[in-house]
Amino acid sequence: MNKSAQAIGLDVGTSRIVRAQQNGSDFEFESQLNAFVAIPYSKLTASVLAKEGVPHTVQGSEILVHGNESEKFADLLNAETRRTMTCGVLDAKEPESLPQMRSILTSLLGEGKGRKLVFTVPAAPIGHEENSTYHEATLKQIFSGMGFDAKSINEGLAVVYGEMEETNFTGIGISCGGGLCNICLSYLAVPVVSFSIAKAGDYIDASASQVTGERANRIRIAKEEAFHFNGFFADKTQQVISVYYDDMIRSLVAALRDTFTSTRNMPKLSRPIPLVLSGGTTLPQGFHDRFEKILNESHFPIALSEIRMASNPLHSTAKGALVAALSE
Amino acid sequence: MRHFASISSNPSLQRAIHLLDPASLREFRARRIADPVERLRYLRRTSAQTSNTPAFLRNLNARKALPYLGLLLFLLTPSPIPSSTRDISAHERRLVGATKEAFPKVWIVEKNADYESYSNGLRVETKLRVSNRPRRPFPIYVKGQSAGFGSAPAGIVFHTTESHLAPFEAEENNQLKRLARNVIDLVRTHQSYHYLIDRFGRVFRIVEEGDVAFHAGWSVWADEQGAYVNLNDSFLGVAFEAQTEGGLDKIQPAQIHAARVLTEMLRSRYRISSANCVTHAQVSVNEKTFRIGYHTDWASNFPFAELGLADNYATPVASMAEFGFEYDSVFVKAMGNRLWPGIGAAERRLRESSTANGVPAPKWKSILQQRFRKIANQLASNPSAASQTANDPQGESQ
Repeated sequence: MNKSAQAIGLDVGTSRIVRAQQNGSDFEFESQLNAFVAIPYSKLTASVLAKEGVPHTVQGSEILVHGNESEKFADLLNAETRRTMTCGVLDAKEPESLPQMRSILTSLLGEGKGRKLVFTVPAAPIGHEENSTYHEATLKQIFSGMGFDAKSINEGLAVVYGEMEETNFTGIGISCGGGLCNICLSYLAVPVVSFSIAKAGDYIDASASQVTGERANRIRIAKEEAFHFNGFFADKTQQVISVYYDDMIRSLVAALRDTFTSTRNMPKLSRPIPLVLSGGTTLPQGFHDRFEKILNESHFPIALSEIRMASNPLHSTAKGALVAALSE
Repeated sequence: MRHFASISSNPSLQRAIHLLDPASLREFRARRIADPVERLRYLRRTSAQTSNTPAFLRNLNARKALPYLGLLLFLLTPSPIPSSTRDISAHERRLVGATKEAFPKVWIVEKNADYESYSNGLRVETKLRVSNRPRRPFPIYVKGQSAGFGSAPAGIVFHTTESHLAPFEAEENNQLKRLARNVIDLVRTHQSYHYLIDRFGRVFRIVEEGDVAFHAGWSVWADEQGAYVNLNDSFLGVAFEAQTEGGLDKIQPAQIHAARVLTEMLRSRYRISSANCVTHAQVSVNEKTFRIGYHTDWASNFPFAELGLADNYATPVASMAEFGFEYDSVFVKAMGNRLWPGIGAAERRLRESSTANGVPAPKWKSILQQRFRKIANQLASNPSAASQTANDPQGESQ
């Protein structure tokens, strides 16, 4: 087997884990929800789940259903899904974090057999010290236990690798996921500035949930299925989501402006560079326009040639990780 | 100069010179590689080589050298490519203030699950830290209107815990430790401060620096950028285990030393101006009565000089100068019956601005108070909405 051809790019996000693999000249993607839900154990439930092929583990008096199926069960039981990660890194407060992460990765990746794997890690959020060391080391340990030759890549840089071949991998890549918005300015494939902000999809869900009294899980579904920026909302939930979306975008733009304004060691850019938006939180219709409007009002210090959405916002980070794995 | 002009007007020669720049050469070569994976491989490989090249070779620049030095191709210029990502990550998030002020240089020496130690001798106990909601971007007001936003901490507010204190004696050691632990538990529960300095001078991180601590709700301060209202999001809170009433003389030298090294570290990390390191009494206001000094901790005797800071008691009191707040006899007593020079300075500034605007002083004060009420109403009803209004004075939200 050609191990290079079988290389894997993995976007390990707070909300979803996306796998990218090469199939001939195309890229192939598969994703799993990075979540699980506990349901009471009974022999009957366990056998039905096994029969239906629903990925799960039995844990004492509970059955833990993980991955994509967890959301259906959570909705059915009116329960919140639990996450293995929070704010872009493994959740140290969640006792099932590691076993469930291992289960989800095993379902998604299978055995490593010495294949190359590049997985994404977040940059430290502004105002926080570097906090991804444990996260990165633990994931590496899991991957090497599964038989992979694993390396990490900054999430924002992965967006650049996935989307900016036209500009020799020079530009600003932004990935807005569940826990964090990750940002990287890359110059000829070298990450010059990378940071994150701890406001992303989960912040919108949790804030809107507090205001409306709806479960965060339901807010997330409402947000992903129906929300769009159109300036008028008859529905209160949509109105509240729009307020927090706006707050998130403003925070992101302020962080971009402040950081790029104050960063020394900036490369001398001979021409305007592109900015690419990716990640599940950028999906609502109108996000790009709203972001561009707020950015244009912000006295942004870097000349931009374009602000565009990633070709596939849900997959571009994993694609970038795969491109990095292939170029190793 | 004629020679230089001929070079400048010759496009092909310009292109050639441009390509002598190592980064431009890499870019040019990379563009000739069709396969994106191969191109990335080339760029990553050559960037590693570039960072391994001696700095004086990386920094050569041909454009400046050619007209003057026929044999030399390059001159020294700053490298466009940082030596490594790791080098950059240490400073890339530090926000540089507009001032030319010199900031302390402090770096982290060691970090583990229980503590962090710093190059200036500071040790921060981190085991007991708690999280809160992340810090929101905070509006900075000019003439009562939001003129922009900040995101990194702009200052430090010093507090006292006003908790029960035992005599600082060896036989009271267990009691001193117990009281410190009690107050730590209390402030953790209420997420009251970012840091607490106990009576032994031990520094505890209470709330993560990137999160908000509820230490200065109704409060105002201002600097050259503008005014900050509600300093929970914009300033870090540092508390001394101490009491104001008859207790400030009980501040231990170890606490002063700890506060000094902690302040140095925070100023180094966030480029915080000395002028923005203030006491709770200086910033606290009663928004209903328009009186300053709702809280009176550190209303006097704050050891600015020992902490390496300017005497900010002399700085005009921002709530008075910007929003027409006043002081009363209770606060004068809290100040030790001696007005801060900053109060007189704020009153002078207020008079000057009323004259400049051609409005009698009482009316001008009332206008400033109206400005504050407007901001306070926005903040009280919805902090996010207040933030929105800032960039969007017409109220257009979509």
